[in-house]
Amino acid sequence: MQNVSFIINKGERVAILGHNGSGKSTLVKILGGLFDPDEGACFIEGIDIREMDFKSLRKKIGMVFQDPENQIVAAMVEDDVAFAPENQGLSPDEIQIRVDMALAATNMRHKQNSSVEALSGGEKQRVAIAGALAADVECLILDEPTAMLDPESRFKIEKVLRYLHKEKMTIIQITHQIDAENFDDIQKIIVLSHGEVKWQGTCEEFWNAAEELGFDLPDELKLKRYFEAKNITIEKINPSVSLHSTSPLRRGDEKLATPDKGRGTAPAVEGLFKIENLSFGYDKNSYALKNITSEIFSGQWLSIIGRTGSGKSTLVQHLNALYKIQEGKIIFDGENLPQKGEEVHSLRQKVGLVFQHPEDQLFSSTVKDELAFAPKNAGFKGSKLDEAIFYGLECVGLDKNFLERSPIALSGGERRLVAIASVLSAKPECVVLDEPLAGLDASYQKKILSMLGNLRDEGKTVITISHDLNMALNFSDRILILRHGEKIKEGSPYEVIDELMKVLSPETWPDVLRISNEINKVNKNFPLLYNYQDFISCISQI
Amino acid sequence: MYFSNISFGQYIPTGSFIHKLDPRAKLFSLLIIVSFIFPAKNFVQVCLWTAILAGVVYVSKISWLALLKAARPVFFLIAFAFIFNIISGYFRNELIQSFFIGLFTSMRLFVLMLFAVILPLTTTPLELSDGLDNLLRPLEKIKFPAHECAMMIGMALRFIPLLMHETDKIIRAQLSRGARLDQGNLFQKIKSFFPVLIPLFIIIFRRADEIATAMEARGYDGGEGRTRRRPLIWKFKDTLVILISVLISVIIFFS
Repeated sequence: MQNVSFIINKGERVAILGHNGSGKSTLVKILGGLFDPDEGACFIEGIDIREMDFKSLRKKIGMVFQDPENQIVAAMVEDDVAFAPENQGLSPDEIQIRVDMALAATNMRHKQNSSVEALSGGEKQRVAIAGALAADVECLILDEPTAMLDPESRFKIEKVLRYLHKEKMTIIQITHQIDAENFDDIQKIIVLSHGEVKWQGTCEEFWNAAEELGFDLPDELKLKRYFEAKNITIEKINPSVSLHSTSPLRRGDEKLATPDKGRGTAPAVEGLFKIENLSFGYDKNSYALKNITSEIFSGQWLSIIGRTGSGKSTLVQHLNALYKIQEGKIIFDGENLPQKGEEVHSLRQKVGLVFQHPEDQLFSSTVKDELAFAPKNAGFKGSKLDEAIFYGLECVGLDKNFLERSPIALSGGERRLVAIASVLSAKPECVVLDEPLAGLDASYQKKILSMLGNLRDEGKTVITISHDLNMALNFSDRILILRHGEKIKEGSPYEVIDELMKVLSPETWPDVLRISNEINKVNKNFPLLYNYQDFISCISQI
Repeated sequence: MYFSNISFGQYIPTGSFIHKLDPRAKLFSLLIIVSFIFPAKNFVQVCLWTAILAGVVYVSKISWLALLKAARPVFFLIAFAFIFNIISGYFRNELIQSFFIGLFTSMRLFVLMLFAVILPLTTTPLELSDGLDNLLRPLEKIKFPAHECAMMIGMALRFIPLLMHETDKIIRAQLSRGARLDQGNLFQKIKSFFPVLIPLFIIIFRRADEIATAMEARGYDGGEGRTRRRPLIWKFKDTLVILISVLISVIIFFS
């Protein structure tokens, strides 16, 4: 961090933007008075933070961090929110008033008597915000508060922040994620890069400078500008013929994709997995999966979509026999899926599973050892082992000098790549990834997307579980929609779009889909689109 | 599977009489009861204690199923005590006698453990740590870190379910990479668990660090000057419960 200066006014909502490793988190800790700067100083209302006493500083600034689990200290919701006012030495009545107020502001009153364990990730984060508010602070600093949450929870947190901003709270939010719906409420944006302030200005100014600064514009904003430039309004879009049949469903500028064929180069005919009437329950009374029948084709990219708790993870953990089949049948490569013994080991070599936040599972002292773990377990030796290690490294696009480095010393994005490589190094035929893009900045997301595309083009079967509809619609070949453990629909993105829109709430749709849906409401002839390029070419046809 | 189904005695809110007791009263009563079950001499006493246990469970409105589930981690210990007795009896040619001794020992242990498990099921971790904090306070005069100890126990109870979940996830991930966690001799077995233990320790240390920061950000500065949302208030019923515990214990002991 070097020579950073800026002013934040009372009641302002400010976003500090930066890619992974730009020094955001250090800045947060300095602003919050948890670190002292080496040089320079941070002033609150004219007073140097270092000269303020601990108690009064903690009444001014509340902080919320990325992982809600690491902020909640008590096992019950109310007990946790009471933590800060208890530290201030208030009377029981005053504490209760603070707790009630904070829970009301974060829309969590209905869960006040619940245990923290029973809450979803998004609800936990709202409790964490309530915990900071209960100190009766004037300013709230949030360090990537939504990075670990699903889109719906993100939207709810955003609602809470908007409400607080309206109530005159100063809000400083650190993020790497830009969404148009987040940012229309923000007055000032500060861009950090390599520990320096690269740019600062208003939101409006930021959008003009965004591309130069290395940030992608959200599709919604791009379309808004396109509409303004061409002087189009939604009502004016009035195609005389139905565009459904002629709509060019394209991924970027690449080849056409028809609904029944894969986008990959390998012809998709073989069913790698045949799942028949699969049901599974964690206990006798409830089902996590109900009567799933599906076929997963080799050489294709399948996205499994559903809300939290819809059974996505349970389903994929059946594919490498981490969960044993209770009811139904799975055929893998023409044979019954092995359930025990040595055959399970060879199954796990063929079907690689990358869990959510796989970087948490690294344990070796060098990247090389980490990548050697899976192939060694699968019986690779000597030159075959070396080749497997290089293969894994090559898949994720890291160069050879990473091999001797320690996984712990790498950046978050690099660790994710190493973790994925450590599964790919066993040369699986099929690779399953649970939320591979979660918590990464745009550049690493792009790297992983193109890597998955390459694997599919190599003929591997790729399965992703994700909340990210953009990835599912624009990159995968097929989509399987789950709800409450049941299959709602499966097929090409084009075939399942209606069901997707029913299962997921509009806030989580891609911008293009949301806007084309709005146009579709006014004019039935306009197709539902989810790709920016398609949208533009469709508009230009009219 | 693996680790996920083990609940280590998490609080079950039923709002019963026992839930509403002062945690200090519950801690004291447990101490009394446990120290009287240990020296129980015969089957009659153990049966009487089982009857008392049944009464307590009834009043607490906690289902037996939930209680047994919470006590599951100690079943292994109890089974071990039983089998150990039988084996040693077999070598001493006193098989039948040692069968009954084994049954007696493990039953006594079983009742004792179930009494102990009722405490975390009916008391929130915060109450428990507040109660301990309060009980240990006098020890601060001899420089014993009473508040810190109580805070630590409370935090441990909050984070046990989370770490269980985390362990389960790591085991699954390493199994997916072909790890063999249950093969070879003891040394190999321990070594084969490194891929689980190392990430777990990294996670624990990272969490501990982040939690400390988050607590500081919320104005935590040690126990001094801290108040409570629900301060512990000793009521008549708490005294009564302790008296009853003493009475029952003494009666059973001399029966």
